[in-house]
Amino acid sequence: MALAQKFLRDLEAIVGRDGLVATPEGRLTYECDMHTFYKGAPDAVCLPTSTEQVASVVRLCLEARVPLVPRGSGTGLIGGAMAPYGGVMVSTTRMNRILDVDLPNRCATVEPGLINLWLTNAVKERGYFFAPDPSSQMVSSIGGNASTNAGGPHCLKYGITVNHVLGLEVVTGAGEVVRLGGKVQERPGYDLTGVVVGSEGTLGILTQVTVRLLHAPEAVKTALAVFSSVEDASEAVSGIIAAGIIPAALELLDAPIIRAIEEGIGAGYPKGAGAVLLIELDGPRAEIETQARRAAEICRDRQALEIRVARDDAERALLWKGRKEAAGAVGRLTPNWLLQDAVVPRSKLPQIMREVVAISRRYGLVIANVFHAGDGNLHPLICYDDREPGQLERAVQANEELLRACLALGGSVTGEHGVGVDKAKSLTLQYAEADLNFMARLRRVFDPQNVMNPGKLLPSHPACGEAFQPAGTGRLPAGTWV
Amino acid sequence: MPVSSHALTDALAGIVGKDRLLTDAASLASRAVDGALPAWIVRPESVDDVSRLLRLAAEERLAVAPRGSGTLMGLGNPPRRLDGVLDLAGLAAVVDYEPADLTTTVQCGIPLAALAPRLAAQRQFFPLDPLDGSSRSVGGVLATNASGPLRYRYGTPRDLLLGVRFVQADGTVTWGGARVVKSVTGYDVPKLMVGSLGTLGVLVEATLRLHPVPEAEQTWVVSFPTAERAAGLLAAILDSSLQPNRLEILSGTAAARTAGAAAVAVSFGSVPEAVTAQGEDLVQIARGEGGQVVTAEGDFWSRPWGFLADATVVLKVAAPPSEAAALCGEIQHLATGIGIVAGILGEAGNGVLHVALTGTLSAAEWESRVIGALRARVAPAGGSVVVERAPREVKERLDVWGPVEPETLALMKRLKSEFDPLGTLNPGRYVDRI
Repeated sequence: MALAQKFLRDLEAIVGRDGLVATPEGRLTYECDMHTFYKGAPDAVCLPTSTEQVASVVRLCLEARVPLVPRGSGTGLIGGAMAPYGGVMVSTTRMNRILDVDLPNRCATVEPGLINLWLTNAVKERGYFFAPDPSSQMVSSIGGNASTNAGGPHCLKYGITVNHVLGLEVVTGAGEVVRLGGKVQERPGYDLTGVVVGSEGTLGILTQVTVRLLHAPEAVKTALAVFSSVEDASEAVSGIIAAGIIPAALELLDAPIIRAIEEGIGAGYPKGAGAVLLIELDGPRAEIETQARRAAEICRDRQALEIRVARDDAERALLWKGRKEAAGAVGRLTPNWLLQDAVVPRSKLPQIMREVVAISRRYGLVIANVFHAGDGNLHPLICYDDREPGQLERAVQANEELLRACLALGGSVTGEHGVGVDKAKSLTLQYAEADLNFMARLRRVFDPQNVMNPGKLLPSHPACGEAFQPAGTGRLPAGTWV
Repeated sequence: MPVSSHALTDALAGIVGKDRLLTDAASLASRAVDGALPAWIVRPESVDDVSRLLRLAAEERLAVAPRGSGTLMGLGNPPRRLDGVLDLAGLAAVVDYEPADLTTTVQCGIPLAALAPRLAAQRQFFPLDPLDGSSRSVGGVLATNASGPLRYRYGTPRDLLLGVRFVQADGTVTWGGARVVKSVTGYDVPKLMVGSLGTLGVLVEATLRLHPVPEAEQTWVVSFPTAERAAGLLAAILDSSLQPNRLEILSGTAAARTAGAAAVAVSFGSVPEAVTAQGEDLVQIARGEGGQVVTAEGDFWSRPWGFLADATVVLKVAAPPSEAAALCGEIQHLATGIGIVAGILGEAGNGVLHVALTGTLSAAEWESRVIGALRARVAPAGGSVVVERAPREVKERLDVWGPVEPETLALMKRLKSEFDPLGTLNPGRYVDRI
């Protein structure tokens, strides 16, 4: 759908010449997020600098019935910040200020484009931090984190992004600017903050986010436990949780991943190991000393070959570097991979890991695992080579089978990456028609004209009305499902 | 066409059975909501019963009030219409409990006190501790967004409700969320249902996040001559690496059993060594702030909070946490100035104060000199004053929830009319009487 010249001039009048990208080369930069399988370039990209500009852009698009796609840093993994129907993308990268840091009330208000880690960097000398820590935190934005309700290794103890969002300013799909929640921790009325967090830009565009800041713990202890098999490591995870220990993080990495990391950045993980557990405890010193001792005993009971405790911050950083860059290191293993983000109840971890091995054998594909074991959130990387005929199809089938296995154990379709285009059709595995109908109606309340990020988060559904039909031809890339 | 009342009772009895339909005067009087008498009470025993009852209510354009334990039925504006009460006490089963998952799925009518022993046997617990007691039902606690001192560490219902089954106003049984501790699949429907006072759907089943019971726990009470004097200690604790599980301020009649007019009560739950070590740090900070420190007896938090039970008016006042102590002091002065008695127990670390006021004032005085004055005080910082309990003549003069910003309220009203267009569920009781 080519946008009318008049429409483009109106956009430029709102965001200025340097806030509008409309050239073919420029737009191509925005055609996908980190899930490069799904491509769809917007017809124009706006880079607003204020709430008023965002609201004006939304109202203009509403009038012209042009789809809107919000985008933060574009580090999502779900085909979220891409434009399957073209339209206008609103990138928040220029709205990246910290508006207010209020340490006595342990909170901060920021613009959505602020990079996650910058917030912690701004307050850590005073002893505070922002807890959500997706592996992308060096580049991902807080608005993007809130929109996708991002997780991260430390959400085992601290909770995911929604547990840390106190308030939002949002431009809804109806073009209104609403302020939800805020510094005060209770407000009368529905918890719309909790509804908008994780809505993936389908209800509105975030223009401000008020987040909790936590005081840094007294002490941190990070250890690496080495096992000969994934099964032993999974049993150790269940044992630690069952003992009433909630570590700050509890991450499992299997042999293919360990090999990839060691050949790549070299984090000091033992190369021949079947699995390692990265265990981090934080809190009062006396608490973590005791819990570390017990966790080590549990690991030894589950046949741990070795337990290594980081002696200083440098060693801790190295252990974490391996984990945080694991997905990147997989490039050494395989030219292509699919990533699954399903969740199982934690007691089912050993069972699902046996299933992963069985699926890997059945399809003749390597499946590498690096995941948030403590809360049962899997991240199997299904390796394939798209130059080999049939491998992609097998990988897609293996992925689907794995997802169904997780749901059959009482799990969830996605633990932290979100739905986007990628998993929209999978929602029917977790929800019945009535449940999806409720969600579709909820969406309509915020976005009556279905202009906000159409084609994402929900399967197409009768209650949504007709699927979004922009003027002119849609241009869904081949292979994309909506 | 509306059915006759005789045909209606037949239809209701047809769903739940005659013995689970109550229409006698004494029962109806005991289930009145703000003085409004229902015409019938039904006590469904299954989710399907609830679904059929609501379908019937929608067809007959009836107004229904869901009820858990009944503890907080006084919350909300007086109902605009009330035909029947849906008493959910019969839905009280534990559907699923796998201790290794630290989750449980229960029917919403189950009282907290009935769930607790099952969890305690596995050294686990559900950490919501509303002040009005453990006889409250899980559904009631969720629907009223109730919490207590433990919220400082464990959060509120929004942090602990993982999945929820509810029956929509037209009888449609709906599920949202997940049965696992981490899920971002679709919209976070449980968040919408928390605190919605049954106005969007009747909660029937909930999957809850549980926590391990700390091995050891100890509470310290630090007394001060005035609430304002506690500000320094609260700020020092918040700006430290201490990790209390409760951080409360007590003043007036709520501080009756402490040595001063106000006190800060702090508890730590952890391994014994860490409780002791943090307690020692706390004592040092507290003495530096001029407080008088004692360790509390074991039942300090489970005692009945009598100051609340006897109150004429109970308010929930929310403000930025850093203002908690000053605000307590101001409320005490305000009370003294107009000749009433105040008791305050507050989650100081969260800025939420439970204010119990006892005295004889006219409805107009309650409205303007107390509630109106406090709303004006906390409004600039985005605070709120919710009237949780008040004589009916006071409630009739004001919106018990206080104002909601117009744009936000418009969205809330659209939600209500989308999901309950006929006004079947608790009409008139929620914000702005929607």
